[in-house]
Amino acid sequence: MSLENNTQVVFNNKQVDDKQVNNKQVSKSAVATDWFTVMVKHSPKFLLLLLVVPVFGGLIGVILPALGWAPVLNQYHIGLQAFSELWDTTGLGQMVALSVATGLISTFIAFVITLMILAAFFNSVWLARIQQILSPILVIPHAAAAIAVGFLIAPSGMISRLISPWLSGWEFAPHGIFPHDNYGLSIILGLTLKELPFLLLMALGALAQPELGKKLRQQHKVALNLGYCPMTAFFKVILPSLYPLLRLPLLAVLAYASSSVEMPLILGPNTPPTLAVAIMHWFNDVDLNLRLKASAGALLQLAVTGGILVLWLLAEKMVRVLFCEMLTNGKREYGGAFWQKITSVITTLVVLFITLSLVGLVLWSVAGFWRFPAILPDSLTLLHWQSAIMQMGTPLFNTISIGLITTLIAITLTLFCLEAEQIKGKKVSPFISLIIYMPLMVPSIAFLFGLVLIQQLIPQFIAVKTVYISYINVVIAHILFVLPYVFLSLSSSYRQLDKRFAIVAASLGAKPSKVFFKVKLPQLLTPILIAFALGLAISFGQYLPTLLAGGGRISTITTEAVTLANGASRRTSAVYALMQMLLPLIGFILAWVLPKFIYKSANR
Amino acid sequence: MPTIKFAPIKIVTRSSFCFIAFIIFALSSTSLVVSANIGGTIETPKTVSTTSPTVKSSEQTAPSKHWKNIENSGRNQDVFFHAWGGDPQINSYIKWVAEQVKAKYNINLQQVKLSDTSEAVSRVLAEKSANNDNQGSVDLVWINGANFAAMAEHSLLLKNWANELPNFTLTDPINNPAVTLDFGVPTQGMESPWGQASLSFYYDELATTNPPKTLNELLVWSKKNPGRFSYPKPPDFLGMSFLKYALVVLHQQSDAITQVQDKSQTQAQLYLPTTPENIEIILEPLWAFLEVLHPQLWRKGEHFMQSGVEMRRLVDDTELSVAFTFSAPEVPAAVQRYDLPNSIRSYAMQDGSLSNTHFVAIPYNASHQQSAQLVANFLLSPQAQAYKQKANVWGDRSVLIHSALSDAEQALFKAQQPHPSALPVDSIKATLSEPHPSWVSAITDGWQARYGVTR
Repeated sequence: MSLENNTQVVFNNKQVDDKQVNNKQVSKSAVATDWFTVMVKHSPKFLLLLLVVPVFGGLIGVILPALGWAPVLNQYHIGLQAFSELWDTTGLGQMVALSVATGLISTFIAFVITLMILAAFFNSVWLARIQQILSPILVIPHAAAAIAVGFLIAPSGMISRLISPWLSGWEFAPHGIFPHDNYGLSIILGLTLKELPFLLLMALGALAQPELGKKLRQQHKVALNLGYCPMTAFFKVILPSLYPLLRLPLLAVLAYASSSVEMPLILGPNTPPTLAVAIMHWFNDVDLNLRLKASAGALLQLAVTGGILVLWLLAEKMVRVLFCEMLTNGKREYGGAFWQKITSVITTLVVLFITLSLVGLVLWSVAGFWRFPAILPDSLTLLHWQSAIMQMGTPLFNTISIGLITTLIAITLTLFCLEAEQIKGKKVSPFISLIIYMPLMVPSIAFLFGLVLIQQLIPQFIAVKTVYISYINVVIAHILFVLPYVFLSLSSSYRQLDKRFAIVAASLGAKPSKVFFKVKLPQLLTPILIAFALGLAISFGQYLPTLLAGGGRISTITTEAVTLANGASRRTSAVYALMQMLLPLIGFILAWVLPKFIYKSANR
Repeated sequence: MPTIKFAPIKIVTRSSFCFIAFIIFALSSTSLVVSANIGGTIETPKTVSTTSPTVKSSEQTAPSKHWKNIENSGRNQDVFFHAWGGDPQINSYIKWVAEQVKAKYNINLQQVKLSDTSEAVSRVLAEKSANNDNQGSVDLVWINGANFAAMAEHSLLLKNWANELPNFTLTDPINNPAVTLDFGVPTQGMESPWGQASLSFYYDELATTNPPKTLNELLVWSKKNPGRFSYPKPPDFLGMSFLKYALVVLHQQSDAITQVQDKSQTQAQLYLPTTPENIEIILEPLWAFLEVLHPQLWRKGEHFMQSGVEMRRLVDDTELSVAFTFSAPEVPAAVQRYDLPNSIRSYAMQDGSLSNTHFVAIPYNASHQQSAQLVANFLLSPQAQAYKQKANVWGDRSVLIHSALSDAEQALFKAQQPHPSALPVDSIKATLSEPHPSWVSAITDGWQARYGVTR
């Protein structure tokens, strides 16, 4: 804004001042009855309700059956029967160990690689390039990523095709252990590849904050001038300030990795599977009494995930105590050149790995006969796309409509909450922001089952078609996971919006609703569209919430992809996995292109 | 303009644009190649004519008043068909059925794709426990064997409707017990036959020229070709079928040797419900056999595939050389879809093929019972059965008896030249009946305890 405008505002304000004195009484009562302000003011409460009721209701719906109280199953005997049954399960120890190991190790590796990339390429053009290459992975749903990774590492996968038969001598696919290896290595690989871009982008997002980023970059330069090796400078100067901003994303990743279902289902072993997968199987078993065991298992999962989070926080404390001295010991060099090379190699490998798996996926989706060890298919065909698209109608409609409804609700609520924040003049309480991120921290398998158990009681009282109820349930479940991301993505832009625009508009007599719709929203178009695309991407990727809340009746591209991943030809799975990737990408492209068109036409 | 805070996303959009451009390029170039190479050979199921003049004859046989009522009240409704959804070919067929019943009765048939039929069973059971006795969410379910036995035992199925279906007479139920017995359990009109299946094997000609023709040969063959054979993890239907095949054959052999002195050991026990006493004795030979077989299996028997379709994929990957299926026509169909290589050949085991019928059933609390019956009757029509039997559609064997059909109807079933990978006609020399359903859970439990957890 120019100085001229500012003075005008002041001038205007002065003019209006005496009028306002007269109108003060009137306007106050007018504001209080304004429907918009009332709605906005109550929106945080509504948001709270929308998040708390399903999660806590779900948890109660798990705790009661776990303790033996399940009216649906005619079980009223309170006791620890379900837990002792759970204890007696063969291989329970292995299941828990697998969940803990895959969750911890994958997060740790992803975290370490993120730090190495940041340290090695901080303030270099390569950082932006790596970011460009890795960021599309962020919007690829877990199931699609798992399918792609599975194709790559299978004994007949791309890697072994590339070295056969000239190097390995394999005429037939070798005996391998991937995917589905007993040690969970495939799961770790898949999760790491998926989490790495997320953590990297979160770190870069934090560094992109103008004040913090500038400060850190300057400190880094000072350290370099003092003779610190770039990597050492990163670890000693940047990391201590950066880590607190990474903690929340890290914990969310950890919670997800230890309790997710898609990756272990597609890449993991089945003798036995991870705890989360086993719980899902128990829940879906013919023997309904297994649901009590499943509920007990869900509580165990909760404890396992909680334990891992605590473990991580403890490790954090230990690292702080152990390495605190090192920060100030003045040592400049820890073999930086060597580590820099290692980082380059790892980064290249990761990028190569991702590229290869994507190429493999595209090839499989159009492959005719493609016998091992040929690197390329014998012939290409669109048959798989044709037959898949013919069957895709309903799932595609469900995916898109649920995504749109969910994201619309999430964005509206988020905007209202942020507006409420500005009306009240203070940020939402830490309690509410904690609640917003809660669905990301509580293992979804723990509360979603409870949600289903509770929902089963509902259809008897409401005379609505059960399909619609399932549909609404899915939307509610999706909102739980879409809201945090939308909030995360929108809040900073909203909070940084220049308040003076609103003040000017208000002083010119615009009602709060007009200020909101006519002044604030148009300026926020780009961030809103991007948040919309993000929300859509999150909603498109949901597997467990769709499956459970919908009772298996609402099929989306993601549920189809997971069902088909273990039970169909590679070619069909490839088509579905690509569809899963294309949908969110289209959303992001629209978010990128639309504002340009809109602004252009507005300028004319 | 405020700066955009979630900056990384901006880059996502840009790179994703490149990615989409790449895919579009790949697809369009493929489509060019395809149109040049294959041209119009891709056959879509939709193109098949549905207005065959022969269809009428079966329905002209004076429908009863009872059926007239059903036809009237069943129109214009939804039917939720809970059916295993792991095979795109079967899903396509069900989609075709949906189009037919939509045109015929204005019924909206929606397939609820299950990864395991037990999901539907537990759903109905849950509804019954919740006293939901007429608003059930499952209208029609694809079922047989243990799941049917479980539902019948808990009275979860509608009774005496299947035998009233007009098209049911075409299965010649009096002379054809296969359509009224499900794994030895009388169906009592609770389920309507849909298709027939026998366990048949297939192998990759380029990997092995001499596939095993009996259970004993399988043991010898897998020692010579370690890691090239396996079976889906029970309780998967196909994996269970292999175990049952092995169990029945093993008992046949031991009965032949011992000349049936000890009654408790005989094969006959397999066709009766399990008792706590005989489970150990009867299953002992199976475990002994598996102890020898497992070390020679794919992944040394430490990991098993999840499903039969995954097994098929492993054959395509050349990881496996021999595999089996319960629906022989599925093999040439998969070859035509490129899901299996051209070098696949089918055969049946000489020591017998396990055979059974699969059905559709209506839960007692189904919301749309009449509509579900209309669908079930359509599934039994010569038109639907013949279309289903086509190798490029599904290839599932018809349950209709040829002598009960008119000439025009029989003509619907005329097959084209068999595909080289198809099961040769008359290759099934001996059929083995399915053991009593109670053995399924006995085998599953025993298997789970022994091999469910890798040590």
